[in-house]
Amino acid sequence: MDGQSWKMENPVLGLVVVALTFVLFYIVGYISNRKSSSAKDLYVGGSNVGAITNGLAMAATYMSLATFLGITALILRLQVPFIMLWIQLILAIPLITIIYGTSLRRMGAFSPTHFIRDRYGTTASIIAALFMILVSVMYALGQMIGIAVTFETLLGIPYITGLFVFGLIIVGYITIGGMAGATNNAAIQMVIIALMFILPLGAIMKAVGAEGWYFPPLLYADMVPTMLESLPTFFDYQFPPKWYFSLIPALTIGALGLPHLAMRVYTSSSLKSARSAMVWFAFILGLVFSATYAMGFVGVYATATQGLVISDTDADKLTIILNLVYNPEWVTALVIAGAISAGLSTLSGNLLAIGALISQDVIATLKPNIPQKVNLRIGYIAIFLGGLVSILLAIEPPAFLVVSILWAFGLAGVTNAPLIIVGVWWKEANKYGAIAASAVGGILYIIVSPFVFPNIVLTGHGVTDGMGLSGAMLAVPVSFILLIVVSYITNRMPALSSKLTRQRDDELIERIHGWNDVKSYRYNSTLGAGITVALSLGVAIWALMPWGI
Amino acid sequence: MKAYKKEVQFTIWMTLAFVLVGNVALIFSIFPTDAMLFGFPAMYIVPILMGWFGVFLLTIIAGKIGNKIDDEIDSENSVDAESDKARGV
Repeated sequence: MDGQSWKMENPVLGLVVVALTFVLFYIVGYISNRKSSSAKDLYVGGSNVGAITNGLAMAATYMSLATFLGITALILRLQVPFIMLWIQLILAIPLITIIYGTSLRRMGAFSPTHFIRDRYGTTASIIAALFMILVSVMYALGQMIGIAVTFETLLGIPYITGLFVFGLIIVGYITIGGMAGATNNAAIQMVIIALMFILPLGAIMKAVGAEGWYFPPLLYADMVPTMLESLPTFFDYQFPPKWYFSLIPALTIGALGLPHLAMRVYTSSSLKSARSAMVWFAFILGLVFSATYAMGFVGVYATATQGLVISDTDADKLTIILNLVYNPEWVTALVIAGAISAGLSTLSGNLLAIGALISQDVIATLKPNIPQKVNLRIGYIAIFLGGLVSILLAIEPPAFLVVSILWAFGLAGVTNAPLIIVGVWWKEANKYGAIAASAVGGILYIIVSPFVFPNIVLTGHGVTDGMGLSGAMLAVPVSFILLIVVSYITNRMPALSSKLTRQRDDELIERIHGWNDVKSYRYNSTLGAGITVALSLGVAIWALMPWGI
Repeated sequence: MKAYKKEVQFTIWMTLAFVLVGNVALIFSIFPTDAMLFGFPAMYIVPILMGWFGVFLLTIIAGKIGNKIDDEIDSENSVDAESDKARGV
């Protein structure tokens, strides 16, 4: 089982299955989007999507190609700590919904930056939008790489050819489909992802002798003793509590700033429906996430006990390799369709976010009087160009697919999340604080990442710095501190009071929380802001101290 | 005032509860244990179960309370509107 060249013997089978799924997605996209006549239809599906469809779509948007390609590779490399890292990602939609999603849905926002524009004004929203475009492109880049890698390794199509041909087909589908098409398709894609991941996993588990193959996500305890014998370190936590704590600023708060996730909440037909969608999201995502950990476990088990050899460069393909080794070829073809569906649904979310950011948050902000039709056309062009840029950036791919995606979480957490969270819950937050937080925090995060200045990093531990865990643990609290302190000081400077829109801000905050009037005691706690600053300061100082890894 | 306080307290406590059930590994990294549960090391399976069923349960609770608070805000709004009307404002 020395897999030097992991390819399907019959690539036509794979291509036919992928082509059929594409035809299905195109038809659903076309039918769903025939009525897209306004920006609201294009970006938030007319705010009229039901709870189950939306819950499934939320899960599909979140569950990127990384589910099939990247996660299992990092489980192979980092083992249990990476599973622990991944678990808390399920918090994204529930936290977005309860902290600010329903408020922004009530406001009728298209994207988080739409709120930032109304709350903090043009300059802050453009800075935030530019960072968000970077986040979305980084995220889309990960999907493009994954799609091209899948076609390259399994069907023998050269990476660059696969990247351009399939990349453009996918971008075309998203541009035609809009959010209504993307939402209906994402719901279908979620079902395909779940089936094409879990059923083949059951067959693999049966082949390696697991008794609980009929429910793969949780029933593999009988493999634990053999795993402990062959690889006693598999369950070790490896890192100190500080590493586990850093997941909260980097990924839990980071996910709160991801525009394509927040936009899913705005597509709900009502606030009640948004809350029901969050329940469906948690159930289905928990199911597939648990299956992913099982797949990683089985992969490590197969390499440790069954003589399966997977080189470092093939690590990203673990899921597909396990299928090639243990399942018939037609099953692998279906798994590829599932992987492509996962990439497609996430890419749809990313590109629609880019479209909304460029047309609504940048161009419509700078030129508010352009006609609706022109704005919609700009949106379509932006979606297409966003896709094209991510294709071009994917020409030179990084080694591990997931690392670039997780780094983007941190950037969203630094530049966007504090502006939205504090902006929704504290009337005193103003544009000076927002600009300082987004610009300084964002630049600080980029500086301490290993990608720009490899020598200026906080831990020296490649994956920890690369995934943005250490950078976010410093930059996220700095961003919160700047937003609160700068706002507090500038609100008390008489020279600036004419440039601030305090009364309008107060009305906006009361309205998005559902109130018809403005009361000075609401959303105005200096104590709450002070506690946030003190806690943030503690976390930032802790981030600068030695990490011990 | 009542609905506002409830909304703030609900958001803070619910956020903390979500962060806690999603980050059980942080607790185990501080207080490690060799215990086994359902055939797995507890430090492995408990975070996975909490990250699925714990979060799922919390979303049900959060949905119900969130809807209730919305209704309370609506009724406080209408009480305020009526008292404004009575005062001739």
